[in-house]
Amino acid sequence: MSTSKLPLGIEDIKKIIPQRFPFLMIDRVIEASPDKVVAIKNVSVNEHFFAGHFPDLKVMPGVLMIETMAQAGIVLYKQKFQNDNLLYLVSVKSRFFNPVFPGDQLRIEVTPMKMMSKIGIFKADISVGDKKIVEAEIAFGTQDAKFS
Amino acid sequence: MTDVRSEVLGIVSMVIEKEIKDIPLDAHLIQEVGADSMMALEILAALEKKYRVIIPEEKLKEMTTVNKIINMIESARKRK
Repeated sequence: MSTSKLPLGIEDIKKIIPQRFPFLMIDRVIEASPDKVVAIKNVSVNEHFFAGHFPDLKVMPGVLMIETMAQAGIVLYKQKFQNDNLLYLVSVKSRFFNPVFPGDQLRIEVTPMKMMSKIGIFKADISVGDKKIVEAEIAFGTQDAKFS
Repeated sequence: MTDVRSEVLGIVSMVIEKEIKDIPLDAHLIQEVGADSMMALEILAALEKKYRVIIPEEKLKEMTTVNKIINMIESARKRK
């Protein structure tokens, strides 16, 4: 995966992550190595979630920003481990600083804290221009990961 | 108390949100102290950052008590 030519377009991304419309949350990967992944998501007014969130004020739901960072995290995981493991979200520590509106371009950056084959934790953040949107620490595991 | 011991206890205490006095050095962190595997991973990541060592994946299963973690850190630092 790490040998793919950057930037990765949507067809390359679909080979890496299993999510699909309406839940594929990254449009492009502009940097990818086992140490860091940077992805881009363009937020259009036509996003399905804006229909209800909210009818009179379109704001991107924070939980979908978490999902966006988690998907960038899958790309990061796959830089180190080329397998078909399905990764489940285990824990999220996050802090939101600014809302996201239609027209914003999200820059998602993820770096590993510890990336292992069945379990991992990484730092993530999203920014729009020079504005910080959210910071998080996200942990994931495969369904059969057990360390007790 | 050695520096490593107090530092490791500090990290464990912060991650599992328990006071140091409630973490016996030989108590099983998951079975007796109330940690879970994700906390073990957070502890491992924090230790790697603090001591600038790489702890291999298979060592996570051995991080069952504070004393075992201290031994692991000390031997990892010697390997550097």
